[in-house]
This record gives sequence, C-alpha cells and structure tokens, in this order.
Amino acid sequence: MASDPFETEALSFLDALYRTALRMTRSEAEAEDLVQETYIRAFRFRAQFTPGTNLKAWLFRILTNTFINEYRRKASRPETTELDDVDESILYRHMREVSPGSSSPDPEAEVIDNALSSEVKEALEALPEKFRTTLLLDVEGFSYKEIAEMLEIPIGTVMSRLHRGRKILQRRLYDVARDRGIVAARAMPRPAD
Amino acid sequence: MDCSNCLERLYAYLDQELAPVERQKVRAHLDDCAGCEDDFVVEQRFLDRVRDCCQEDVAPTELRTRIVARLRMENDAPR
Repeated sequence: MASDPFETEALSFLDALYRTALRMTRSEAEAEDLVQETYIRAFRFRAQFTPGTNLKAWLFRILTNTFINEYRRKASRPETTELDDVDESILYRHMREVSPGSSSPDPEAEVIDNALSSEVKEALEALPEKFRTTLLLDVEGFSYKEIAEMLEIPIGTVMSRLHRGRKILQRRLYDVARDRGIVAARAMPRPAD
Repeated sequence: MDCSNCLERLYAYLDQELAPVERQKVRAHLDDCAGCEDDFVVEQRFLDRVRDCCQEDVAPTELRTRIVARLRMENDAPR
C-alpha cells in the first residue's frame, strides 16, 4: 500500500502525543485511548488542516480538546480543587537563605540534579489539571501564543499558569528532596499566609 | 533595569518569549548582576530537567499498530 504522507507525518508525533496524554490522564490505558481518538479525529477532519502549517500543533490541539471535553469529566482520580497557597518567592532563593548548614555550596542545584525522573513525573502528574495541561504543552515546545490558542485562554493566563505551576512543581521536588534527606528539614519553604 | 524588573521577566526570557529589545535589557542586567544571573541559571536547569524527564516515554508498539490499522479502516470506509 502506498504510504500516505499525512499519515506518515502525523505518526511521527505519536511518542510526543502519547507521553503528553500519559501525564494528562495519569493512566496508560486512558492515554492510549486518548491518543487513538486523537488520530481518528485528525483523520476525519484532515480536510481542515492547511498543508504547510504546523501539524504537531494541530494534533496537540485535537488531543487537548479531546482530553478536556471527554476525559476531564471521567478522570479516574479526582482533581484537587484547592491549591496550596504556594509561596511566590523563588524557591531556591529561600533555600539559599536557610541552608547555611548544608554541605553543598549549591543546594538548589542539588535538589534539581538529584530529583529522580520518576519523582519529576509524579510531581507533574500531581499538579491540578489546568496547570498540568499548560506545563505539558510548554514541555513539548509550544509558544505562549500556541498554548493560548489550544486552551482558548489569554496569553497572560498561560504565563501565570506556567509561573505558578513551575513554583508548585519546585516546591514538591523540594519536599521530596527533604524527605529523602538531601536537604535539611528546616529549609522547607512555608506557604505565604 | 533593576533586579525586580529582571526577575519579573525571568520565565518570559528563558521561554524565548521576550521581544528583542526587552531581551537585550535583561541580558545587560544579567551581565552586571551575579545574583540574578545565578537565579536564571538555576531556573534554566530546572526547566531543562523537567523537559528531559518528560521526553523519556515512548508509545507502546501495539498502540502504533492499532492506530495504523484503525486509520486504514477509516480510509477504506465509505464516506
């Protein structure tokens, strides 16, 4: 069978779509269903795609919409509705101030470097859905404008979600590092009141 | 540009989202301010680490096979 260039190009984004779906749904089975549904929709609506434009962005838009419309409601794990009030001061600066006892000259870098891949992924998956989705699209290299279009939100909202989402992620990684004894317990940042 | 203006633009700078003029102003401040420069370096390291961790997963082979088969069915189906 002659290969279809649209199919070939679309399938080159399978890994990227799958890993994003995996973090969005937090379930391998749901991620597979979501990705399959994305491709089926992409094929049905392929006439709406303008050749020469960004196919990856188009596919991710379908993935994101499908996730938001269909999977958000039946998420296997309930979403956290209340967010911890995250201290907006930059995490590592706080650590620097309070970690004179640390043996490392660079404790903030130590937290980042020592974070296991599984810990980073778990911390990402634990983010509230809106922050998680925004961060995942950022991780895939989309611009603020592209993310804003995909999620149908203003660019300012993309920026604030990225900022806040990253701070929550840093705090979680920091907590994990503290639990593993990498950083001193007293260095834990406190949420702002 | 002072430190607080610079730090406000931290993520926009690292995300390559600043206009060239703004970018240059931030760069000029970072060249003069070791404290801000340190903050930017650590945040960049954090963003790189998150990206690297996320890029590891690949789709299962069966999923690819299943999708290809499904797309062929879609193609063959009468419209």
